[in-house]
Amino acid sequence: MPVRRADAPEPERRDLDVRGTSVRMLSGGAGPDLVFLHGAGGAGRWLEFQARLAERFHVRCPSHPGHGGSPAAEWIEHISDLAFHYLDLLDTLRLERVHLVGASFGGWIAAEVAVMASHRLASLTLIDPVGIKVDGWIYPFLFGMDIPEIVQTVFHNPMAALALAPPDQSVDTLAFQYRQGAAIARVSWNPYLYDPLLRRRLARITTPTLLCWGAHDRLAPVEPCAQAWVKEVPGARLRVFADSGHVPHVEEPAAVAAAIAEFCGGIR
Amino acid sequence: MKFYYFHLMPYVMEHDEPSSWVTLSNRSYDPKAGQRLYHQYLDQLEYAESLGWDGLCVNEHHQNCYGTMPSPNVMAAMLVRRTTRAKIAILGNGLPLRENPLRLAEEIAMLDVVSGGRVISGFVRGISAEYFSTGVNPTHSRDRFYEAAELILRAWTEPGPFPFDGTFYRYQYVNPWPRPLQQPHPPVWCPSQGSSETVEWAAKRRFPYLMVFTPVKRIAQIYGEYREACERSGYAASPYQLTVNVPIVVAENDAKARAIAEKHVMWVFNTGLRMHPPFWRPPGYMTEASLRRFLENPPPLPSDLTFEQADAQGYIVYGSPATVRDKLRVFSDELRAGIVCSGMNGGSHEATLEMMQLFAEEVMPFFREDAAVDETAGVGR
Repeated sequence: MPVRRADAPEPERRDLDVRGTSVRMLSGGAGPDLVFLHGAGGAGRWLEFQARLAERFHVRCPSHPGHGGSPAAEWIEHISDLAFHYLDLLDTLRLERVHLVGASFGGWIAAEVAVMASHRLASLTLIDPVGIKVDGWIYPFLFGMDIPEIVQTVFHNPMAALALAPPDQSVDTLAFQYRQGAAIARVSWNPYLYDPLLRRRLARITTPTLLCWGAHDRLAPVEPCAQAWVKEVPGARLRVFADSGHVPHVEEPAAVAAAIAEFCGGIR
Repeated sequence: MKFYYFHLMPYVMEHDEPSSWVTLSNRSYDPKAGQRLYHQYLDQLEYAESLGWDGLCVNEHHQNCYGTMPSPNVMAAMLVRRTTRAKIAILGNGLPLRENPLRLAEEIAMLDVVSGGRVISGFVRGISAEYFSTGVNPTHSRDRFYEAAELILRAWTEPGPFPFDGTFYRYQYVNPWPRPLQQPHPPVWCPSQGSSETVEWAAKRRFPYLMVFTPVKRIAQIYGEYREACERSGYAASPYQLTVNVPIVVAENDAKARAIAEKHVMWVFNTGLRMHPPFWRPPGYMTEASLRRFLENPPPLPSDLTFEQADAQGYIVYGSPATVRDKLRVFSDELRAGIVCSGMNGGSHEATLEMMQLFAEEVMPFFREDAAVDETAGVGR
């Protein structure tokens, strides 16, 4: 059960203006700059994974527009809009090069950033990313599932889902969740969870790339999805986490954080 | 008051699946049974005209047993050649569901020309589940609706050819042949569930507003909002801009009517509208304001609606001819609705025909002060 470590310092909360789009961001730790792009339901979370990373990095966790109660950005119509938004965020924060980590939907955005601007990245870590069309695989349609079905699809250990559960069932919370679903659907309803142009472009990535994958991922299984990424991203290394489903950074946070630290340490 | 006969063309069946929409396997559909049903349903619509109904209504729904009319224009085409007097109301076409809505402008114009100007063209977004069946992005639903409506109206009214450069739809040449017979275009109706954005949009254009399967109290509230919106646009709403769609059951006495309603009308709500919860609420289909309004006072899911609730809240009109007349007075006198759309189901084709005849003889004549009025004059365009 992932919990924030008692001795870990509280993250700092900041509101940013990124070229006219307002962004909520959590940050903490010291060390090389690392930006984490969350997946669906991961906005505004500072869990054990982030706390562990903050022991080695200066970690920044921005919420995607429309996620975690932040205002939606009507101009975001395509996944590449989000990638440009994060390049703008790097500029706003005056970060020349960062270690970029993205999970699931955030991994998709991170990969779009990498094909555009590998030179801005010291490393790239993709945790069970979606975003490419994989021959022989159709991502299960989460938008058509109720909560128990989603938990069943996303988590190997269903108890881990509690870490991402909404705080309550108030009208505000439900409206925020709806806004978040709409923000994701806007860029991923059809084609569902991929950009038809991305796969061919992955060969452009020159950043050292680590792929972290849950052995029991049912949304994007190791075979064939991880294997497709290994094939397309030059020199990518794959680490599989035996006790995880689609969200190993939630299900095995210490192990995934350690793998990232080790990978990034090896580069420097 | 005007009476329109409304058909869903359901494939009535019982099943234990969680949803009658989207995922209910079409293995349950028997085409031979379907053939019989389609002919019975079309016979009922044609019979309605001969009994004096003013309009015949078809509508669009996809991938379900609730209503087997994925293309309402196909059904309308069958009706225009078999009828001579009644309006043919397509309630409606799901504009955002089309990749090429210019095709709709063409199809409606064809129907209007062939029917001699009897077509009423409903513009709808399609209900939530439709976005799962068609793959159209629900977050684009509203914008596609407005854009497609603008395209179709311009295609009907502006001499072609002209270019159209929208966000979702783009054409170098908009120039449909035929043009519609009704001028400036066939009346447009807006069947809707009461979102304030749609109410405003429809009122501004004098497009009649239609509430489908809604409690009377809520109809009264939305009608009020619609009338106010008309006044803001500088005119008073005609009764023929306010249409209500309510299932009617009439039988020789109240008890018999109630038994039929409990069985056959409640099937529509409890089984026909049984839906896997995510299909009710695709992301971005509603505005956040509409969602909040809905969450603050959520109505029961149709599948949970009991007959007692449906009865008490006015989802259904049932009874002897005298009782049905009294209940319809609520719509004509209190809600001041000019048009009642209703389907009937007596449990069998023959029983349905008998019910229709009873209604036409014992109920309809009591609401005919406006027999000489053309309900489409000056509204819908």
